[in-house]
Amino acid sequence: MTLLADKDERFKNLFGKAVIFILLALIGIGLVFLWTGLKKGAFTPKSPVYFVADSGQDLNEGMPVKFSGFKIGKLNTLALDEQGHVQVEVIIETKYLALLRQDAVMSLKKEGVIGDGVLEISRGSENKPVLAAGGKVRFERANGLEQAVVDVKNRIVPILDDVHQTLSDPHGDVRQTLKNLREFSAEMRGTRERLDHVLGSVDNVLGSVDNNLNKEVGPLLHSLRQSAANAEALSGKFDRELPSLLKKADSSMESLRMTSEAIKDAVQQAAPQVPGVLGEARDTLGKTREMVGSTQDVVDSLSTSWPLKNVVPPPETGPIRMDSHD
Amino acid sequence: MTRIFLLMLAGTLVACGSTPAPRLPQALEQAQTADKDARRALRNGELLRAQYNFTKVLALQQSLDDTAGAATTLINLATVTHQLHDDAAALVWLDRILLEQAAIYPAESQMTAAFRKAVILTNLARLKEAEAALALAEKQCDKKCTLRFGMQGLQARLLLLKGDAEGALASAQALAKEKDAGKEEQTNAVRVAAAAEEKLQRYAAALQHYRMALETDKALGLGARIGEDLHGMARVAKLLGRVEEASLYARRAELVSESQRDR
Repeated sequence: MTLLADKDERFKNLFGKAVIFILLALIGIGLVFLWTGLKKGAFTPKSPVYFVADSGQDLNEGMPVKFSGFKIGKLNTLALDEQGHVQVEVIIETKYLALLRQDAVMSLKKEGVIGDGVLEISRGSENKPVLAAGGKVRFERANGLEQAVVDVKNRIVPILDDVHQTLSDPHGDVRQTLKNLREFSAEMRGTRERLDHVLGSVDNVLGSVDNNLNKEVGPLLHSLRQSAANAEALSGKFDRELPSLLKKADSSMESLRMTSEAIKDAVQQAAPQVPGVLGEARDTLGKTREMVGSTQDVVDSLSTSWPLKNVVPPPETGPIRMDSHD
Repeated sequence: MTRIFLLMLAGTLVACGSTPAPRLPQALEQAQTADKDARRALRNGELLRAQYNFTKVLALQQSLDDTAGAATTLINLATVTHQLHDDAAALVWLDRILLEQAAIYPAESQMTAAFRKAVILTNLARLKEAEAALALAEKQCDKKCTLRFGMQGLQARLLLLKGDAEGALASAQALAKEKDAGKEEQTNAVRVAAAAEEKLQRYAAALQHYRMALETDKALGLGARIGEDLHGMARVAKLLGRVEEASLYARRAELVSESQRDR
């Protein structure tokens, strides 16, 4: 007994037609899976490579393994051994094994400043044999931004301490230099007062030279002698102290120069990283924005497709609500 | 049986592949996305973000010469600006529709703009200007548009503010009975009726109406109006000599107002 009356020519072989239709759909779905599998590398032969890490921090299953910027494999399994070390298995596309040597090093790096971690494998030495499937490589963690910041801090802090000590030490070069300069200034003031006195005396002498020539010449000569003696003593002291003063000033200048050099070195080491860090941060932000935009597009598209369109409310249009009491 | 099952399977497979929504030109899609973002921001209470996005939508619509869309966005911008308590700026947005000499904006948008202008002017106690704006809206509506209930509610408010408590009560009671008015406008009418009764010293009826309005406002989740209802109940209960009850309502009203300020 047939379910439908086959009087109409179009209903003939309906079952066969439906089967063909369904088969075509299934073949289509199968091809999509096959294509996706090919794209994802599901059918590419892969070989395991092992390494041991001190800890499993930042290591995740599925993490990509890159060589010269290309993804050549992924982290397959992580296991803790009896010594508390982490045994890691990565699978690498077999065709790329020929590019790697036995002393290749697996480094854990970050993609960008705040990006995901990636495993980057180096080529190794040319004179070493090719890495075999199931071989073992060395593992290391690459320095990230945090390490760079710590390095800069370790260099800057001693310099700042040195500058602080140089400026605050009462027996230090700077303080001593200032003290000497103060003393020298005080002595110069005394000398000037004496010279003023002498000049005043000379004025007096000139004014009364006619009347009191004999009377004044004596004290004047005495005063001049005294001034000359004082000046001589001062000159002697100046001669004695000036070399040490200049030496101390030189030493202070040298200390400042060294400090300046150290700061310059630190800044020069840190500066090249800054544009890179900023660029990466900008890239990351751009990618995040793109990703959010794409996700929004996907969600918007899905919300207009069956069966989601039946449960998603239609987008609002028209003026937003406002009543007589708002 | 097998055939039925296979046919159903085929039907399901066909149904899965519904036609995807066609892509629009980029500027139109951008305008729609910005509009969606603005409405989402408004729902989340991010008024400044909503205002910014509506400004973006307006620029895109103007660049596409979409005057109908631009009119809607101008009204939306005015509404958000009013919610941001910048009524002067809100009136400027609305006047861009109302004062346009060339008839480029749809009549419905002009009517909506006139109504919203009347509401804002009533809030500012500029009653004569509010009456003029409401008259313009009513003329365009001709008692046929969906806004007519809102207009009637606003008319009742204006009467009350002008001191015509009897007129306001009659208008509000008539509106409260209109089933098509919607819950919000009906509740507004009940509140206006309560205020009119308070003015007419019918305190018991006023208290009852404030209570009715409160129940609906609570169901609708309208915080500011709940506060208004409670303040009214506190005033009326005090006038009825129910001091303890009045202080309870006043305290509740204060709590609601406080929470509104914290938002």
